[in-house]
Amino acid sequence: MKPITRRSFLRRAAGTTITAAMAPTLTSCISDITQAPKTGYFESEFGITDSMCRKVLAEALSKGGDFADLYFEHTISNWVILEDGKVNQAYCDVSLGVGIRTVKGDQVGYGFTQELTAKSMMAAASTAATIAAASPNEPAGEFVETKFKNHYPMEKLLTSVPFESRLPIVQNTNDKCFALSPLIVKVNAGLNDEQKRIMVVTSDGRKAEDLLPRGYLYASVVAEKDGKRERASWNLGGRRDFSYYSPTVVNEVAQEAVDRVLILFEAVQPPAGEIPVVLGPGVTGILLHEAIGHGMEADFNRKGISTYSTMIDRKVAEPFVTIIDDGTNLKLSGSLNVDDEATPGQKTVLVENGILRSYMHDKISAKHYKVKPTGNGRRESYQHYVIPRMRNTYMLPGPATPEEVIKTAKNGIYVQNVSNGQVKIGEGDFAFYVSQGQMIEDGKLTAPIKDINIMGNGPKMLKNVTMVANDLQMYQGGAGMCGKNGQGVPVGFGLPTALVKSMTVGGTKA
Amino acid sequence: MNKQMHDLAVWSIEKAKAAGADDCRVSINSRRFVEISYRERKPETIKEASTRNLYIEIYADNRYSGQSTSDLRQDELKDFISNAVTTTKLLAEDPFRTLPEPKYYQGRADIELGIRDADYEKLTPESRHALVKAIEDTSLAKGGEKVISVTASQYDTCGESITITSNGFEGYREYTQYSAGAGITLQDEGDRRPNGYHYVTCVKKDNIPSAEQIGTIAAQRTLDLLGGKKIPTETLPVIIENRVVPRLLGGLLSPMNGGNIQQKRSFLADKKGQKIASDELTLIDDPFIVGGLGSRLYDGDGFATKKRVMIESGVLKEFFIDWYYSRKLECEPTTGGSSNIIIPPGERTVKDIMKDLGRGIFVTGFIGGNSNSTTGDASVGIIGHLFENGQPTQAIAEMNIADNHLKFWHKLVEVANDPWIYSSQRTPSLVFTDVVVSGA
Repeated sequence: MKPITRRSFLRRAAGTTITAAMAPTLTSCISDITQAPKTGYFESEFGITDSMCRKVLAEALSKGGDFADLYFEHTISNWVILEDGKVNQAYCDVSLGVGIRTVKGDQVGYGFTQELTAKSMMAAASTAATIAAASPNEPAGEFVETKFKNHYPMEKLLTSVPFESRLPIVQNTNDKCFALSPLIVKVNAGLNDEQKRIMVVTSDGRKAEDLLPRGYLYASVVAEKDGKRERASWNLGGRRDFSYYSPTVVNEVAQEAVDRVLILFEAVQPPAGEIPVVLGPGVTGILLHEAIGHGMEADFNRKGISTYSTMIDRKVAEPFVTIIDDGTNLKLSGSLNVDDEATPGQKTVLVENGILRSYMHDKISAKHYKVKPTGNGRRESYQHYVIPRMRNTYMLPGPATPEEVIKTAKNGIYVQNVSNGQVKIGEGDFAFYVSQGQMIEDGKLTAPIKDINIMGNGPKMLKNVTMVANDLQMYQGGAGMCGKNGQGVPVGFGLPTALVKSMTVGGTKA
Repeated sequence: MNKQMHDLAVWSIEKAKAAGADDCRVSINSRRFVEISYRERKPETIKEASTRNLYIEIYADNRYSGQSTSDLRQDELKDFISNAVTTTKLLAEDPFRTLPEPKYYQGRADIELGIRDADYEKLTPESRHALVKAIEDTSLAKGGEKVISVTASQYDTCGESITITSNGFEGYREYTQYSAGAGITLQDEGDRRPNGYHYVTCVKKDNIPSAEQIGTIAAQRTLDLLGGKKIPTETLPVIIENRVVPRLLGGLLSPMNGGNIQQKRSFLADKKGQKIASDELTLIDDPFIVGGLGSRLYDGDGFATKKRVMIESGVLKEFFIDWYYSRKLECEPTTGGSSNIIIPPGERTVKDIMKDLGRGIFVTGFIGGNSNSTTGDASVGIIGHLFENGQPTQAIAEMNIADNHLKFWHKLVEVANDPWIYSSQRTPSLVFTDVVVSGA
């Protein structure tokens, strides 16, 4: 197979954009103002009443906590998996419980139980209460429901979709992969869907219920050519209902997975060292998430751990760089109607025209900084307490065209797909694995590259972003999970084509 | 044996069979844990809870599924199991999915593994808090004036699990685990704030080192990161510190897995009996280490476990093959995954080895990166320091090593004498030569 040319890459990207018209890009990400999910689920299914919540909150504040909240969760997850040509594995998980948190200043007491009985909840509340040691406080007399917009409306509950409807989607993905190339020797495909119901009740009188769908369709393919084997994968998903997984989506998942594996047979490794790096649009936004986003989570800054701790209102990038963290994108993985502390979903400008404007806050950090919470208080499940987390993080488009950016880089690498990113918050140092990309030689895209690491320093990289193109793409996958303090939460990200004037590229050639 | 858990497992099997399952395996896990952290000389978090979970694998009409739930209300569970059987029957047939032949359950070793601390119940809130406070105190004192933040923490858990199959397997285990350590942030030049840490994990509380020792090492490891910067790209000897070797070893263990071999995702699939590393590499899977974090008498299939030499003097001897993939691959199963991984220690300390090497990189952490199990290509960011004349001279940052595993492990020239005992992978520090270290 010939190396991918810039023109063919753009054609393929255009194809992606057509599908993305159904799977919205940022320009169509302004949410419908649809009705919020119906409330009352935990009362009707598990008998959780306001008066019961008040008693449990009173117990959580019985030793003098400033604030307490209850987080009820009922999640049903399904996986349907194909191996060796048949949809022959299925897994299901049901997760039910309530987490009880007591906050005293910046201190947190936490207990949880899987039994939604008054006795079990009071015991968990009693554990949480021990963080404080003072006179009891009283919770609010009544709870007012938090109003919010619905950023992931569903026509049909995932739990009401017949199980067997999932099977042909996965089978067709497999068949399509094999049909696309005789070099494909193995396909693993699968469909994951998850329906999470939550209810947050707070001692300051707030109550919020939400219904969060999430899922993705994936294909992982192995190809064989001249005795060599390569592997690649692709997925599409987000907070979508079942109707999303149309034949068009099946075709795109298969096409992307197969295209991405075939190009690897031609891949070379670039020389190691410091060179210009062009980040392609879309999935490379994960680099923005890791290298820069984590350092702007307020808990790291409140504790002085982050390299960004002293940078609020300082210039951190060129004026054409604006970075957003957003819970309001329509049906993306990181979208949130309401966060896990009952703060409505919202959009937060982190860097505005090159100036660091805000961290991402939960209630504890917002109180510390004397600002309003930004809706970034998140947790993996009822078994975890809230910490500030990203939602959908992206950079706004700049004035250049992608072609101008590549031409300006002159000699370097073009990064098309990255994974396994990690950052050291205090130093800002990060590393990413480039699973797919191309060499840039004399301002043109040439040979494909693979299996290299790129390293840098977040604040330095941000300053070194010297060009941003006008082609912002949001990642449309559903498998993006971010890990922090042992908690995984779904996130989204996006990026326009951007030039970083210098980064370290790892390789085997000195 | 916990009778309540046993009865629930037996009841679940009966319900599954009544609903139309041919066979099934039920596992119930239950645990209690306590987690405490301190910061600024007061508790930052206190977390305590109990969990219980049931996982049932259904085999019906040559079809298979696995289903788990934390909702153990009996009526709900009965419906859950019945739905699980119905769902399973909608899948495609897979003739390779069966419970193992019972002969593999036989021959379980008669060894007391020592994976439960009899003194667990003696832990008190006061003793837990005292340990964490002392770790924080030492970390602050040893970190000195440059300390920005110290978070000291401890975690302990006590759990039990039972697994029963419809064809005669029963397994039960109780376990405990303790972790303690500290994460420290220091002020470096400019805006750099190096984060360092030191954590240990053990089966028994008495095996946790003193709070003073933990705090001192945490502080020293963080101080060692000050002034980190990249150096020019160079080919150098590299010592990988014992505690981070598992990250590197993962790239070799993953392609030894039966699933990766059968799915053509393993660069080692055709290498059994061949030399894949230098003579210095011997790798043993030992499930019988007393107090080992990976010790076990039976594996996930219920197979009686055995000690196995996986790699001997660089020659690949065995794969990790479970029952399902053994049937697909038409070979004898071994075990589906590792228990305790052992690399037999060498003779010399890291310090002595450094003296001989003169100049090189001591890697104390990895960042990002990946290892491709299909091709063997790997690339990973490194943290550590440069040593010259056998002495550390410069902390390094923003650097990387990359190679193909089939080449890299032939560069292993020595194994140090310092196995890291606070992990199920008890690896000593490893010494490699001629490694391209990418930097400026």
